[in-house]
Amino acid sequence: MTLRVTRRQFFKLGAAGMATSSMAMLGFAPEPVVASVRHFKLTGAKITRSNCTYCSVGCGVLIYSRGDAAINNIDDVYHVEGDPDHPVSRGSLCPKGAGLLDYIRSESRLKYPMVREPGTNEWQRISWDDALTRIARHMKDDRDANFVTEDGDGNTVNHWTTTGFLAASASTNETAYLTQKMVRSLGMVAFDNQARV
Amino acid sequence: MVRSSASIRRHNREDSSSVKHTYGNSPSGVMAPPDVVLPTPDHFAIRALRLQELSQRVEPLGEFLTFMAQLASAQQVALEHADPAWAPIDEAFVPALEHGMPPLNVRALRQDIDLHTELAVMLDALELHVGEAQRTLLIRLRELPRDEVDLMADDVLAASPGDPERRGMMPLVAAAMQVAWLRLTQSLPRAPDRPSAEARALCPCCGSPPVASVIEATPERSGVRYLQCGLCATQWYFERSICSVCEQSGKLGYLSLENETGEPALPAQAETCGDCGTYLKVISHGVDPQGEPLADDLASLALDLLLAEEEQYQRSGFNPLLVVGG
Repeated sequence: MTLRVTRRQFFKLGAAGMATSSMAMLGFAPEPVVASVRHFKLTGAKITRSNCTYCSVGCGVLIYSRGDAAINNIDDVYHVEGDPDHPVSRGSLCPKGAGLLDYIRSESRLKYPMVREPGTNEWQRISWDDALTRIARHMKDDRDANFVTEDGDGNTVNHWTTTGFLAASASTNETAYLTQKMVRSLGMVAFDNQARV
Repeated sequence: MVRSSASIRRHNREDSSSVKHTYGNSPSGVMAPPDVVLPTPDHFAIRALRLQELSQRVEPLGEFLTFMAQLASAQQVALEHADPAWAPIDEAFVPALEHGMPPLNVRALRQDIDLHTELAVMLDALELHVGEAQRTLLIRLRELPRDEVDLMADDVLAASPGDPERRGMMPLVAAAMQVAWLRLTQSLPRAPDRPSAEARALCPCCGSPPVASVIEATPERSGVRYLQCGLCATQWYFERSICSVCEQSGKLGYLSLENETGEPALPAQAETCGDCGTYLKVISHGVDPQGEPLADDLASLALDLLLAEEEQYQRSGFNPLLVVGG
């Protein structure tokens, strides 16, 4: 990646130059401000652009987290606000979007796949591979058992009505297209989207 | 003729947004924030108030900021009462505005503006208030030949630290130039368009670099970031969370000063970029509605000093009221 730097001139504003600065020449001693630096600590924050998770509008959000880029501490999110530069939402958020910080910090937020086995009352964490394999197995078994090729009058229908699909919000057009193609090609008819709020 | 403040064209800060939004009703269309906002004719007075307030809050810089507040007040007096020998003719800036060029380009107008009248009126207003140490410098500056002052003005525009012997006078010359260019902004028939992609970080009015950026909090510009010109105080739109030097956003950080009790010491933050190794300060009106980029930049000198110690980032902000040698 080539970096397009639009400026070539920068300024030195260090303690070494303060004695000959215009401030000192004007008769204001720079020593107090140079010494005051000892009482301060630099703290870093980071702002990350993202999209609201809730609906198909896909409002832009700015997510504030502590720690600077070097430390790359993105765990401690402390503020979320609308992105005023986003072409769709121009900084505005609905009450749900405005509460995103509580969603991120929610104790009951789902962060990884979990399973509750039949006959138990406990949720157990499983890997993404396990989750996808299990879901595919369930779908295949159910489809093999319940797929309908013809209705009672002999019309070809090729549908699968015993499983439904709820798609994610904030999908791009491309994701939505692929989701539609996959779901319909399996013959599924019960299909809705979380974005339909 | 003494030009009164009323004769200086008054610009509504938010006039480029045609959609009105009154509370209780939804807006009638897309509310787009203005691309470029010209300074108001009372900008120096607003800056003076802010500097005065900061002089109380930032003890190590108290006297310096008090002087800068007096300087800003003197700039306001000069803007309202000086009668410069040169003024642009009507329609002078129309072609530049039509073609997206900075109409008040510093290099083009440097020889036209009547810097000496602005400076003389400003120094008259300033002299009543300053201490003994500064008074001597003011008198020396008054007695300098005009071409020597012009050389200092060239140094200001070149952002050069200038002759160490005269460095103390440079902010005064720079202040008079700020008056001259803010006066020019008031003669524009309209605000310029957004700068072109090649020069997005330079002032669309005069072509100077920004002093700092400010995140606005008015209903029309809520949360929108503007860069503010270090010379003419024009503000222009620049996306949030993007480096104003290299336009990358991947390695941006926001560094601020925290005092010993863990409280934020000042509203100014440094927007640092790990891609190009520079920083520009940002002031949020959401945090402090009275923040003024140039005033808050001066008051947060400790932030620059700490960043210089770290030796990781170079300063890109252009503040002609504080000149530091190499």
